[in-house]
Amino acid sequence: MKRWTLSRAGQDPAPQPGQPTYQEAIRRNFLFARLDDLVRWGRKNSIWPFNFGLSCCYVEMATAFTSRFDIARFGSEVIRASPRQADLMVISGTVFRKMAPVVKQLYDQLLEPKWIISMGSCANSGGMYDIYSVVQGVDKFLPVDVYVPGCPPRPEALLEGLLLLQEAVGKEKRPLSWVIGPEGIEKPPPISRRDAKLPERSRATELRDPFRLE
Amino acid sequence: MENAVLHAAAGEVPTIVRSLVQRFGDHAFVPQVTADGIPTLWLEPRFLQAVIRYLRQEIERPYSLLFDLTAIDERVRWHRDGQPDGAFTVVYHLLSLERNEDLRLKVSLPENEPSLPTITPVCPAANWYEREVWDMFGIRFEGHPNLRRILMPPTWQGHPLRKDHPARATEMEPFRLPEEVQEREQEALRFVPEEWGMQRQSEDTDFLFLNLGPNHPSVHGVFRIALQLDGEEIVDAVPDIGYHHRGAEKMGERQSWHTYIPYTDRVDYLGGSLNNLPYVMAVEKLAGIEVPERAQVIRVMISELYRIASHLLFYGTFAQDVGQMSPIFYMFIDREKVFEIIESITGARMHSSFFRIGGVAMDLPEGWDHRIREFIAYFPRRLDEYDRMVMANKLIQRRTCGVGAYTTAEAIEWGVTGAGLRATGLAWDYRKARPYSGYQNFEFDIPVGRNGDCYDRCAVRVEEMRQSLRIIEQCVEHMPEGPYKAYHPLTTPPPKERTMHDIETLIQHFLNVSWGPVIPAGEACMTVEATKGLNAYYLISDGGTMSYRTRIRTPSFPHLQMIPVMSRGMMIADLIAILASIDFVMADVDR
Amino acid sequence: MSSVDVPSPNLGPLVLYFALVLLVVGIMLGASYLLGEHRTRRTWATDLPFESGIVPAGTPLIRFSVRFYLVAIFFVIFDVETVFIFAWAIAFRESGWPGYIEILIFIAILIAALVYLWGIGALDWQTPRQRAAAKIAWPDFPLRTTYRQTDT
Repeated sequence: MKRWTLSRAGQDPAPQPGQPTYQEAIRRNFLFARLDDLVRWGRKNSIWPFNFGLSCCYVEMATAFTSRFDIARFGSEVIRASPRQADLMVISGTVFRKMAPVVKQLYDQLLEPKWIISMGSCANSGGMYDIYSVVQGVDKFLPVDVYVPGCPPRPEALLEGLLLLQEAVGKEKRPLSWVIGPEGIEKPPPISRRDAKLPERSRATELRDPFRLE
Repeated sequence: MENAVLHAAAGEVPTIVRSLVQRFGDHAFVPQVTADGIPTLWLEPRFLQAVIRYLRQEIERPYSLLFDLTAIDERVRWHRDGQPDGAFTVVYHLLSLERNEDLRLKVSLPENEPSLPTITPVCPAANWYEREVWDMFGIRFEGHPNLRRILMPPTWQGHPLRKDHPARATEMEPFRLPEEVQEREQEALRFVPEEWGMQRQSEDTDFLFLNLGPNHPSVHGVFRIALQLDGEEIVDAVPDIGYHHRGAEKMGERQSWHTYIPYTDRVDYLGGSLNNLPYVMAVEKLAGIEVPERAQVIRVMISELYRIASHLLFYGTFAQDVGQMSPIFYMFIDREKVFEIIESITGARMHSSFFRIGGVAMDLPEGWDHRIREFIAYFPRRLDEYDRMVMANKLIQRRTCGVGAYTTAEAIEWGVTGAGLRATGLAWDYRKARPYSGYQNFEFDIPVGRNGDCYDRCAVRVEEMRQSLRIIEQCVEHMPEGPYKAYHPLTTPPPKERTMHDIETLIQHFLNVSWGPVIPAGEACMTVEATKGLNAYYLISDGGTMSYRTRIRTPSFPHLQMIPVMSRGMMIADLIAILASIDFVMADVDR
Repeated sequence: MSSVDVPSPNLGPLVLYFALVLLVVGIMLGASYLLGEHRTRRTWATDLPFESGIVPAGTPLIRFSVRFYLVAIFFVIFDVETVFIFAWAIAFRESGWPGYIEILIFIAILIAALVYLWGIGALDWQTPRQRAAAKIAWPDFPLRTTYRQTDT
């Protein structure tokens, strides 16, 4: 259903042809749009993770950092132990009630730009731990960009999550400087990978026999 | 006239019971028969300290290792014949390494303000255990140096393992973390030196207090050590745990005997299915199930594969913490090979939950031994290479020899088991001392260290990897044929072939998997030599489909208690080497 | 000693260099001030020092142990010694043999001071427990392989 809104004619922000603001707006949009793209491209290909792990998923995250799965080829070369120098916090593992204020503190101490990947069932929703000491999902107190399911997710799954995040970061709109452009981040809407992968998965009819190894 | 205690004990009376009765009199004890055959005696609180002192210090070949100290909430339990009435029971489980025997003491407490005298003066390792019992049950210990919560946040209300405390997060209020709550919780977590008896300054200098906090690359998980530093020297250290408390023990009371198995995997998350083993063995003990040989050998093989994987991770992080950046990458490649093998057999990498009550989940697939044989041919050369790279490296030796050293007596005093105990020179391995699951049929050695320092702990684990490989080779060569599950009504789930064939088996399958097997009432504690030390599951069944009380005795809990003892007077760099060498996993500590 | 003509200083390049340095630093600071977003999402925790995710246990504004002061003083002394030696080295031809002997006496006095400091243990940073730990012999126990010390 379409939603109709009314706006005052005099306050219409769209540039009108023939006015100086129009040329200025065009020039600004062209130059800085190119610069914006460049910055976004650089940003998405160099997301540095924060050395943070809670539980078993951290072991699979560490496995993703090692040679066979090699997260460094996607630009996440350097793992920073200080939140001031990191971009990405992967909540890998169960979020415990005693640990929640610590996680929030670390999130607050991360500097912009920052992103959160919630890795594993426990971080997504509490997982199989519906128990008094576990927060049922890290999105109860943190904004999450990508959810990676699994218990624990394979390192390849985490890498897929990272690639999705890179795609999203490539489309984000952040102002280059607070002098130009409005403050605030516009993020692209999240998409469900299950729906995207459903056609391909429905075509799989021949499954490997688990009782016969080649 | 024969006294009642000796009469009431089933079968032959253990010598320790005779000695105790002789020393304290017949009326001091009430015996209890448990399914695992461990001598269990109930006693009154007034005898407690004296009995513990007698057992730990006065007799020859003493029961010096405090294996476990826990409690049970008996208020809704039905099957308690012959046991003293009481709302709470505190259980003391002692182990004598020289006698190779256990002893369990129980004290019964009323519901109103239950309290007991502390045993920390005679047994320093009981400190954290008593704090945990206070935290989980609300039982006070008079005379405890610092009785405060250990697993739950300091602001928590209530005692979680009591039967009237809600178990599910969804039964409690939804969790919110607005800024005021965050500030309040952080303030509660702030380290106040005066609460721990620390001075803020000495004569000439002030002390620096530092959090080696929950988020630190070197603490291997969410673990916090509050350090009191004089420059770089550690004057005192206070470990703070509980950031990884997942309520596995409370979860056992809500999951059926069968559906609890995945939760055991995640207690020591590097050990995988090796953690299933003590749990299913305890259930099988309660149910009276005999596991067939093939299942036993499969269990041994998978356990040893997980032991290699866990030790490889330990090895890599040990080298990394002491300064070598490369070995961990090589060792993770080997871990991948192990995970490939495990995935081809069980279907999962880290948490495979492969063991079942009565056997294993499914039979080995065809061609299962190819990958394992390749691995057996490939791995020893890699270990030799790591010897040259890590163990023979002068820097590693210089930084870890002599650091964090303790004697065998100190280790037993603090409850250290596993490689940490063998590094001091004592050749005690549960697989040799009390063989379980067919370990008596395997040929392997127990590596032993000498100085009990960080280097020795690492060297012992490296050698254990070689021995594990030896065991796996024997498994591959001599895998017996036969069923992979026991033919017993309580085997869960029953073998699938019969399920598709007989209606009775189908009904049994349906009930066991959905409702849960009904395990007869009783108590059993089964221990295994896990990757980190002795891991025991003490299960109490009330004749239902769920456990009444699941107690998980984990090896890393007492290991962390020993950190201040090992690190006072050393520098922070040594503390990092010590932490790396203890080989703990936070899920193992906090459950 | 012969007198040498000191060339008249040419200060032009130096001034230009100074100006360029100021410009580069100004660009770096100015650009980092202008670029990026102002962190509008500040909370009370953002400005706290990072101490592994928890409020700090102690304050860093404490009295330090005097050991650190000693090391700083030793550094200053031996560094100033080096400066003097550099100053002599530049004019070493002009100062000739007498200058050489004077600098030798200077260095000898400072070496004596160094030997004294070394002897009284002012350079030793090990704690007593570490000293005791270092006395434990090199690993040489019966495992299946003997660990040879290799240089890596």
